[in-house]
Amino acid sequence: MTFILDDILLKEIGLEMPGVSLLWAFEQLRDFAFKELYNPDKIKGLIKENRLLFEFGELAREEYEEKNDELLRKLKLAQRGEEMNLQVRSDIFGAR
Amino acid sequence: MSGAVPESGRYVYCIIKSPGEKKSFGNIGFGGTEVYTLEYRDLSPVISNAAMKKFEVSDEEAEVHKKVVLQVMSEHSVLPVAYGMVFKNKKLLQVAMSAGYKAMKKAVKEVDNKVELGVKIFLPKGLAGKEVKGQYRSAFLDGLKNKSVQSKELKLFSERLILNAAFLVDRGGIDDFSAEVERLAEGAADVKVQYSGPWPPYNFVDIRILSRQRGGFR
Repeated sequence: MTFILDDILLKEIGLEMPGVSLLWAFEQLRDFAFKELYNPDKIKGLIKENRLLFEFGELAREEYEEKNDELLRKLKLAQRGEEMNLQVRSDIFGAR
Repeated sequence: MSGAVPESGRYVYCIIKSPGEKKSFGNIGFGGTEVYTLEYRDLSPVISNAAMKKFEVSDEEAEVHKKVVLQVMSEHSVLPVAYGMVFKNKKLLQVAMSAGYKAMKKAVKEVDNKVELGVKIFLPKGLAGKEVKGQYRSAFLDGLKNKSVQSKELKLFSERLILNAAFLVDRGGIDDFSAEVERLAEGAADVKVQYSGPWPPYNFVDIRILSRQRGGFR
């Protein structure tokens, strides 16, 4: 039986290794930031909000268009990321 | 997209009850292509010939789709189809129509002679307060639910948005609904109210049989 000692297993049995825990925390932060930045639903929400601000006269056309282009670029990236399923952490060594 | 060689892909804008024979809506499709109906039993997808490609999300292209649907809607009740739905050829479109026929027939019945109207309430900069939010939200929802056949609360995509709702309204009841919106908006002068439509019933039709994702059958 292959026994894999990884950060999650260590946490489950109540062991904390300072380096590993810190790395885990960084990974969580990175994943959270990534999801926030490249979440297509969130970006679609920002596109709608930008449009609404323009329609209510809070943004000039130029400001609206500039922001809209930027958000559309981000959305394309996010959708490509989603298609490639970048969130899945694959085990390249085939340990399991 | 237009040119000497006709494209074999079929872009679908919406679905209507069959007008009985092929109907053209003019050259208003992507790249100035003709928008026309295809017959499938008693339903007709409204389509144009198009290249098989992924339709990018851009204001210009989404606007073409929107304009076509609005024009068709001025004469027919429509079942909206998501932007970017293109089929490799006529045959695959017919296969999809066949697979989705039952669900489409049911949806046509539900939205026949009805339109969608949208209402958003937006807080001006600096105005916050849970009481204000709750008060306006329920006043609008209660008042407008009485004037509509169905309603749906949609995602609040901004922190300043306190209501985002869609209402399915009989064509004949639009004026009555609009008068109620006006009455409610007059009593809510400290917030911004956006009233939009009539739209195709995007939020009241959910047929996924055409494809689980944008892009149709490839």
